[in-house]
Amino acid sequence: MKNKAYLLVTGCLLLVVLFGFDTKQQHKFTIHFNHKIGLKELKLMDEKYINDFGEGMIIAKFKYYISNIVLTGDGGKTAAIAASPWLIDEADSSSKSIHISSPFTNITSIQFQVGIDSIKNVSGVQTGSLDPLKGMFWTWNTGYIFAKLEGYSDTAKVPGHYFTYDIGGFKKGENAARKITLQLPVSRIANPASINIDADISKWFLSKYEILISRTPICHSPGALAMQIADNYSDMFSIGQFK
Amino acid sequence: MKLYRTIFFLLIFIITGGSWVSIAFKPTPLKFEIPKGWPQPKYDFKNNPLTKEGFELGRKLFYDGRLSRDGNFSCAACHQQFGAFATYDHNLSHGYNNSFTFRNAPGLANLAWQKEYMWDGGINHLDLQPLAPITAPNEMGETIENVLNKLKADAEYKKLFKSAFGDELINTQRLSKALSQFLVMLVSSNSKYDKVMRGETSFILPEQLGYDIFKKKCTSCHTEPLFTDLSYRNTGLPIDDILKDYGRMKITGNKEDSLKFKVPSLRNVAMTFPYGHDGRFFSLRSVFEHYRKEMVVGPTTDSLLRNKMPLSNYEIGQLTAFLYTLTDTTFLKDKRFSPPGAEIVPSFIHLH
Repeated sequence: MKNKAYLLVTGCLLLVVLFGFDTKQQHKFTIHFNHKIGLKELKLMDEKYINDFGEGMIIAKFKYYISNIVLTGDGGKTAAIAASPWLIDEADSSSKSIHISSPFTNITSIQFQVGIDSIKNVSGVQTGSLDPLKGMFWTWNTGYIFAKLEGYSDTAKVPGHYFTYDIGGFKKGENAARKITLQLPVSRIANPASINIDADISKWFLSKYEILISRTPICHSPGALAMQIADNYSDMFSIGQFK
Repeated sequence: MKLYRTIFFLLIFIITGGSWVSIAFKPTPLKFEIPKGWPQPKYDFKNNPLTKEGFELGRKLFYDGRLSRDGNFSCAACHQQFGAFATYDHNLSHGYNNSFTFRNAPGLANLAWQKEYMWDGGINHLDLQPLAPITAPNEMGETIENVLNKLKADAEYKKLFKSAFGDELINTQRLSKALSQFLVMLVSSNSKYDKVMRGETSFILPEQLGYDIFKKKCTSCHTEPLFTDLSYRNTGLPIDDILKDYGRMKITGNKEDSLKFKVPSLRNVAMTFPYGHDGRFFSLRSVFEHYRKEMVVGPTTDSLLRNKMPLSNYEIGQLTAFLYTLTDTTFLKDKRFSPPGAEIVPSFIHLH
């Protein structure tokens, strides 16, 4: 009898060791990225959209890296979400929802980075969402492409009228990583099951800077233009509608 | 007492279980030898510990044409061992679909001491380096995804990846780590020059005179023992109107880096001709002529070469004699670096 009791105690101890330390309750929720251009929902290779300069375009590719998510919650406390970066790709609908475990019941704001930390740009070949085979990597001038917007526009004076904005750059003086902070509306703060974030492509062309496809149809390397476009698209996010 | 017994048995269980897992995978460590008097290598061996299995896998990959789109262009197609892992006799290498590369393939040696790769230093890690030629349309012309699919479909590779990394997973990181294991082992440190430095032999007179001139005129860029200081410099090569290659400026976006290229190592220089980033010099003689006469001095030309480099015919002769002492025949014929299986040569095959 005593023997069994010992076994029971030891077993319980083992269970506590294995699972018990993780006593904090985690609130799971989903962030869903919803891609738009102006007021219209984005569809790849479909409708012709018009930007604020009257330039028509068909979007072929739209993807970007989200990393370093930090939540602000109960009483202004913050929590960094430890996870490898997410590659949000319009062509892959499952990539547009990311699942988060939050230590807070109430979430007042979400901060994240569009881009990849410089350490990941200088330490060899990464795996998972950062695997160079994802096509978000410059092999000839090491570095991640943080965001990509490509498509067709008659105003693009380049072969096939195919404009390409591949934005990246991690070095000093050409850093294109951008931090974005979004406040949640008061009505959505308490224990959300999902949060919609809208990303409006029209901001790529007009926000802080004016980027005309007719003037600069191509951005393929880090530098001044890439940083301007990054500044522009850092304004593209907003908390979206909830269904 | 019985509690102790229970704990004891639990411990035994955990220890035996754990050790069983670790016994299953045990590759043979491979030692990286730093030649005497050389600086510490820059490659991060902790993140990619060298093993015999990893090295052998890397060697097989290096010689495997399937890393290219049509199977014709292995790494070794442009990095030939007898040419000190440069392309022997080609100014520009030949790539997929009858194309030329934009630059001369550099010799591969002593890569563990470098931190940046390519003539313009655009690649910041040896592991990342192979991804550029594999995916360049005018080199191997393939996608990484296709390469991995080809390797995954090959039972032999599954076995080799398992013995090198513990399981059959084949991904970009493992592909590049295996290649790096082969590449860092390409150490050239046994030329006549090295033997002289180690006191095992001595220069003949022209070599010694050449070495003295070298130390006066060349060594500030072609610094011993790597024979490069790994900096980027404009040595007065006028731009090629077709290639329009501005070198380092493409990477930094800085006008001051216009026409600057990495100082190439002179190890095995007798074997790595043609010379220059675009292979425009077919002989050492033409390089010397460039330095003393043909150079075009422009705004970014190196400060050491503002007045070109005066060289007499006599000096050129002695320098050439010295440069020939940098040929490392041990390295050029090292069986460890030859195609897998090349060690076994049937007796009826005559070797040149």
